[in-house]
Amino acid sequence: MNFGENKREGNKRTTMKTLMNGMARWLWGSFLLIPALLLVCVGTGAASEKKPFLDTIKSVDAPFDSRSVQQVQPVPQPTVVAKEEYQGGQFRVLARKEQIERHKCSNCHGEKEVKGKNAFTLTHGNVVVQHGREGSELACIDCHHPQDRDALEDKKGRKIDFDHSYQLCGQCHFRQKRDWLGGAHGKRVSYWAGERIIFNCTTCHDPHAPRFAKRFPATYSVPLN
Amino acid sequence: MSLQDNEKEMEKDKENKNTNEILADALADKSSRRSFIKNLSIGAAAASATLVTGCVPGADAAVSGEMRLRWQEFFKKNYRLMTEEEKEQTVSRLERLAALKDGLELQIGSEPPLPKVLYGYAFNITRCEGFMECVTACIKENNLDRKTHTQYIRIFEMEPGQLDPSTGDGKYFHEVPVENKFYMGTQCFHCENAPCTKACPTKATWREPDGIVVVDYDWCIGCRYCQAACPYFGRRFNWGKAEIPKEEITTKQHYLGNRLRPMGKMEKCTFCIQRTRKGRLPACVEACPTGSRVFGNLLDPDSEIRYVLKHKKVFRMKEELGTEPKFWYFID
Ligand code: SF4
Ligand code: SF4
Repeated sequence: MNFGENKREGNKRTTMKTLMNGMARWLWGSFLLIPALLLVCVGTGAASEKKPFLDTIKSVDAPFDSRSVQQVQPVPQPTVVAKEEYQGGQFRVLARKEQIERHKCSNCHGEKEVKGKNAFTLTHGNVVVQHGREGSELACIDCHHPQDRDALEDKKGRKIDFDHSYQLCGQCHFRQKRDWLGGAHGKRVSYWAGERIIFNCTTCHDPHAPRFAKRFPATYSVPLN
Repeated sequence: MSLQDNEKEMEKDKENKNTNEILADALADKSSRRSFIKNLSIGAAAASATLVTGCVPGADAAVSGEMRLRWQEFFKKNYRLMTEEEKEQTVSRLERLAALKDGLELQIGSEPPLPKVLYGYAFNITRCEGFMECVTACIKENNLDRKTHTQYIRIFEMEPGQLDPSTGDGKYFHEVPVENKFYMGTQCFHCENAPCTKACPTKATWREPDGIVVVDYDWCIGCRYCQAACPYFGRRFNWGKAEIPKEEITTKQHYLGNRLRPMGKMEKCTFCIQRTRKGRLPACVEACPTGSRVFGNLLDPDSEIRYVLKHKKVFRMKEELGTEPKFWYFID
């Protein structure tokens, strides 16, 4: 888009209108001027004198049952009921555990010996933590439970399930969590209607490096017209 | 309706009808002047075909299934005046024509607006990082012309402190996000008080009861008055039929939405009417990797969009015009 061009179009429009006005007067007398002027008003957008639209919307408080929308299908991804409430009701989040390649962690982190030859892949050599202030990044056990590797642990020592990691993330990122609960951060899965199912923190953010990597945009734009 | 059925119908037509019969039919049917004229024109078309080719079988072929479908399409009403039945007829005709002409198997819908729903959209200018995945999703979903690179959505790279996209860079192509810049998307804002709809001389564009501003592509005469009336540059005029690789065509379509538009029509974002009327999110919202796009029912006090309107700092573009766009920008 180019708003400069928009302005140019606008000028063209006004010139045309003026021309039309002149012609109308010349042809049929001044009574036709009134509709012509009205047209100009419409073109420039007459301000409404009603109650502000936003207030009208905000005053609608009749409940709407979004589950009444018939065509909503179940989402294919595994979900769990969140351990929090949304506007007084329950909602679901995308499950995480099945997404973790080598879950359960206790398969390795247990009494069993781990063979040295697989050391690199098995010791998480691929994980580079870029989370926390630069130079003092978080350590594994800042989030992972020190004893029970199948769980996370928050700063109060509560055990946290991988599927409910928002409980852990929210202890630092409480503003984001508040927005996420309300719907201003994160997103719903596939449907605006139906039961509320939303992305988990870890659906979008890699917990080890939560910031999105820089990349080229998916496409580019050419000027309009 | 399958291709085979169509072929059968064509055969039947060839056997049963010739020009004289059609004229006789038309004259016998006094119930409607409209259908009389319609049939008369079919007859005339067939007759002129006879003159050109000079042989009667040619005339019969002219009244083929496709020909008849096209005539019926030509004489259909404005979508808003159609009964439910007529709407179903026209979408099935369009499906059959697409099958006949292009070998496409489409599912065109005419879903009505959902009761007690008014769609609204919010865009988080703090979160958007300019990845433009919304744009590509929109192109794909809405069958936009690949040749002219038509896009309903525009993303602008903005200087801090600026809130008017006209000051931004809409043509960036480098790694994003860039430090100290922010990104702002525009598209049709589905104004409650839409100036574009008032400008249309043929009433081919209007606001639906669920708030979506739509175009009846078959009633649009391509005058582009509406484009001039839109203060947001929300409309796109197609100078030709969209060129899309056949396997990339989105086949689930809506009459007022992403169906394949004829040439020389006005088109624009329809909040993905073909999706949203089935409870789905618009393609751009679903594709956004940053969650900057919030969509929902403004009449649902528990919806995400209402949360944003209530708890966030929101603003709209050119609010002073009184167009009342249903598209808010917000800051985290
Ligand atoms: S943004 Fe433009 S095209 Fe969309 S409804 Fe408003 S005036 Fe019409
Ligand atoms: S371009 Fe089409 S929709 Fe726009 S004003 Fe003209 S006829 Fe109406």
